[in-house]
Amino acid sequence: MRRHTMWVAMVLVFVGATTGLFAAGQQEGMEEASGPVELELWTFQEIHIAFYERMAELWNEQHPDRQVVINGTAYPYGDMHNNLLVALQSGTGAPDIVDIEISRFPNYLRGNVQLRSMNDYVDPVRDDFVEARFDIYTKDGNVYGLPFHVGLTVMYYNTEIMDAAGVDIDSIDTWDDYIAAGHQVVDNTDAWMTTVEATEQWSFWPLVTERKSNFFGSDGSVQLDNQTNIEVLEMLNDMVRTEGIARTAPGGFHHAEEYYGFMADGGAASIWMPLWYMGRFTDYMSDLSGKIAIRPLPRFTPDGFRSAGMGGTGTAVPTQGDHVELAAEFLAFAKLSEEGNILLWEELGFDPPRKSVWTSDALAQENKYTDFFTNGTEIFRQMLPLTEEIHPVNMTTQIPDAITLIQTEVMPSVLSEGSATPAEALRRAADQLRQ
Amino acid sequence: MEHRIARIVVVVILVAIAIVFLVPVYALALSAFRPGQQLLRYGITPESLLPTGFTMSSLHTLFTARDGIFLQWFKNSVVLLVLRTSISIMLSAFVGYGLATYQFAGRKILLSAVVFLMVVPIQILILPLFNLMIHFRLMNTVWGVILPFLVLPFAVFFFRQYAGSLPSELIDSGRVDGVSEFGIYFRIMMPLMVPAFGAMIILISLMSWNDFVWPLVVLRSNDMFTIPLGLNSLLTPYQDNYDMLLSGAFMATLPVFILFFLFQRFFVSGLGEGAVKG
Amino acid sequence: MPALSRPFKNQRYVPYVFVLPFVLSAGLFFVYPVIQTIIMSFQEIAPGLREFVGLDNYRRLANPRFYTALRNSFVYTFLTIAVLIPVPMVLAVLLNSARSGAGRSAFTVLRGMLFLPALMSVVVVGTVFRLMFASSESAIANTVAQLLGFPPTEWLLAGPTTAMVLLVLVATWRWTGINIIYFLAGLQQIPNELYESAELDGANAFQKFRRITVPLLRPVTVFVLTISVFGGFAMFEESFVLWGPTSPGNVGLTMVKYIYQQGFQSAQMGLGSAVGITLLAIVFLVSLALLKLTGFFRQGDE
Repeated sequence: MRRHTMWVAMVLVFVGATTGLFAAGQQEGMEEASGPVELELWTFQEIHIAFYERMAELWNEQHPDRQVVINGTAYPYGDMHNNLLVALQSGTGAPDIVDIEISRFPNYLRGNVQLRSMNDYVDPVRDDFVEARFDIYTKDGNVYGLPFHVGLTVMYYNTEIMDAAGVDIDSIDTWDDYIAAGHQVVDNTDAWMTTVEATEQWSFWPLVTERKSNFFGSDGSVQLDNQTNIEVLEMLNDMVRTEGIARTAPGGFHHAEEYYGFMADGGAASIWMPLWYMGRFTDYMSDLSGKIAIRPLPRFTPDGFRSAGMGGTGTAVPTQGDHVELAAEFLAFAKLSEEGNILLWEELGFDPPRKSVWTSDALAQENKYTDFFTNGTEIFRQMLPLTEEIHPVNMTTQIPDAITLIQTEVMPSVLSEGSATPAEALRRAADQLRQ
Repeated sequence: MEHRIARIVVVVILVAIAIVFLVPVYALALSAFRPGQQLLRYGITPESLLPTGFTMSSLHTLFTARDGIFLQWFKNSVVLLVLRTSISIMLSAFVGYGLATYQFAGRKILLSAVVFLMVVPIQILILPLFNLMIHFRLMNTVWGVILPFLVLPFAVFFFRQYAGSLPSELIDSGRVDGVSEFGIYFRIMMPLMVPAFGAMIILISLMSWNDFVWPLVVLRSNDMFTIPLGLNSLLTPYQDNYDMLLSGAFMATLPVFILFFLFQRFFVSGLGEGAVKG
Repeated sequence: MPALSRPFKNQRYVPYVFVLPFVLSAGLFFVYPVIQTIIMSFQEIAPGLREFVGLDNYRRLANPRFYTALRNSFVYTFLTIAVLIPVPMVLAVLLNSARSGAGRSAFTVLRGMLFLPALMSVVVVGTVFRLMFASSESAIANTVAQLLGFPPTEWLLAGPTTAMVLLVLVATWRWTGINIIYFLAGLQQIPNELYESAELDGANAFQKFRRITVPLLRPVTVFVLTISVFGGFAMFEESFVLWGPTSPGNVGLTMVKYIYQQGFQSAQMGLGSAVGITLLAIVFLVSLALLKLTGFFRQGDE
């Protein structure tokens, strides 16, 4: 036995040494071949890669002498953002192009910004875009991230449940109407009227914006606990606790697998999420095909807004890459051109930020989204007016902290645990931000 | 008679506890053969613990999805395991023997340092260690993962205890024969420490195979991931990789279980002797 | 054992060659990082920016999130020790009693069964427990809860109590088998004659356990206590795989997770380092206390 173990140890050492040499040799051998330039791309959403690859095909058709190949990798949300931070801090390892989610974006605007300003590409087309979607990725007048979508926030109604409850969804104009309809749903069906996210911000933030409020003032001052925001959170809390028409989202948020299962089984009659959530319905709740209608959000006041521009991913070009200029030009082509904006809808189901394409025929073509939702091919024509009802979101370097506080403290303590009132929870969070 | 009844009662209690302990293992094994999405939506339910309705599709996905990335992770895990285990066992045994054999200035301090480092959680130091890896350009490399932990304090301690229990006359006779100190170690003493090697190979391999925190910090790209990192990357709500996640979790565990059933003795002796003062 | 004192001519450097790998490794990957952490804890660090800010980072520790992390780490450490010493000790004694004669194979099989969880990657463990403790009412944990007369709950989301219960359950499941092996090794060291003479004196099983087993297992108990204390304060992985980098209500926030969040998520290396130094200080104080109470760190000296 002893000899045997010794033998195993020797083999291990030998194999270890040779694999080590092999691994080292392999790295040496990774020379870049001539031909198309490989652009490394990081994202946290696998489906985005397909979009970039399609745009690369278009680019290569138009630029036969400057071919590109997209080498895209999708990482988990947290890992990708952490990796990028690491790469920018260490000055090495960043990709050529990277998707950065809005609530993390300000992290990369601290210190000396290590991203390329995209102003030279943005300025010529700025007027044709929803300006608010550039503002969120801007620091000192420089746009560092290009948007994927407007993130128009809408109400998704399950018409089957609403019909069973005897509610005409087009008669819902204000939040009071909505709550009244909620009682009808709860009384007449087995479903809840809606769900509220207890671990993320997508139930809270849009309504704050809809009421033309913000977490921070344009000067960066903390306004998280202002009266409007408290009232919004009180409304959500009341829906859950006193009105009894809503429950917290199973799994905590509207992207949880448990949640998809719950909704697919007809668990709730409606939810409000941005238009980019359409893809979650088609991909994860296919049972609901033909039952979901998209409508504007209810208003708070008779002349109030009926939407908000929510969420977002700013795509950026880190300055440390080997192909910064090419990457920037390709990115501008992908995100700013009309073809790109049309593809954003066709490939990803996003509401493209370039306004001129909203009325184009391309956005009225049938696809899996128009088949799924009862609005059919009319989605964009019906929702276009809402682009004028978007209050700008003030971004500051504190947004990531504010979001973290909302996700981990404000929403859970109010909605799941009931350990704080909306006012208390928001004040506590705001105090931490003011520190 | 009374004694025998007592023993039966004890065994029954132990069996009951062991069965409860096995529920998650059993659930894991079954989950590899069920549609991942259902499990993520409704959890592991009592019905899903019934041994019926298996599907092989998850396992199939595991080995084919994304150009067989799981096999890449598997390979990465194996390379890391072999490198880490072989090098750190050699170095740790070397140091452990030195500490057991020689009397020299600073020995006591070093011994205390070994014991202290044995228990201090390295997680505290992830930030500076991470900066160090950036500085040495070792981010996202195999060496970045293994270098900080090549000399393992618990293994040093273990080998030191073991070497201390060997007859010192052998060392003396080696010296009489004119063998150098290193020759004595490599030719006479190290072969005697082979049983200790067996135990440590098993433990260090297990550690390496399941290691999570430090590789999470160092390894940054998908094709460099080990199995635990790869599995962790599948736990995202934005993609439907659950089939891979569950069958991958099972396949990550299976080889370890097999080794355990073959070498249970080594697992046990490696751990036990660390706890009992030598 | 007594180390050799016989001089070996002209070879005084030899012992130092033997310990060199350890000295290098500890210097580069422990001492230097500790010094770095101390320095960074007085700095503000951002991409392309690094400046001294005095005690700012330490002042900023006075915030509810840090207190939550501190409390969670302490509570978790305390609870895991409260479970993971007595339970494995008793199980080890029971197992040991089945060890002889016909129980031999039963012993090996049972020990193996209890040890299996320790073989599994924390990621795998986290995945399985997430699914067993899923939100759905039909998930297995909720099924059991309902059988016992409790309402179903969203274990991961409902608040700090269920979260801590879950974390301690995971720890118990993972480490019981290992601690049993430690205690079994300790039991092997206890001479059988002690029990035999106690039996002659008419001692019952409980008395033997209290008067002989527990006192003589003390070195092992101290060892298990020590690794449990440090394991408890270092806890991060379990929380990470159950909730990800952040958790609702910060139910899974521990000291190390706070370091990780500050360092890698919020780009606040300075603040993260201040947390690291605080934790290091706690660990150091605990080591001193353990040394004082148990002599654990004298182990190497004999």
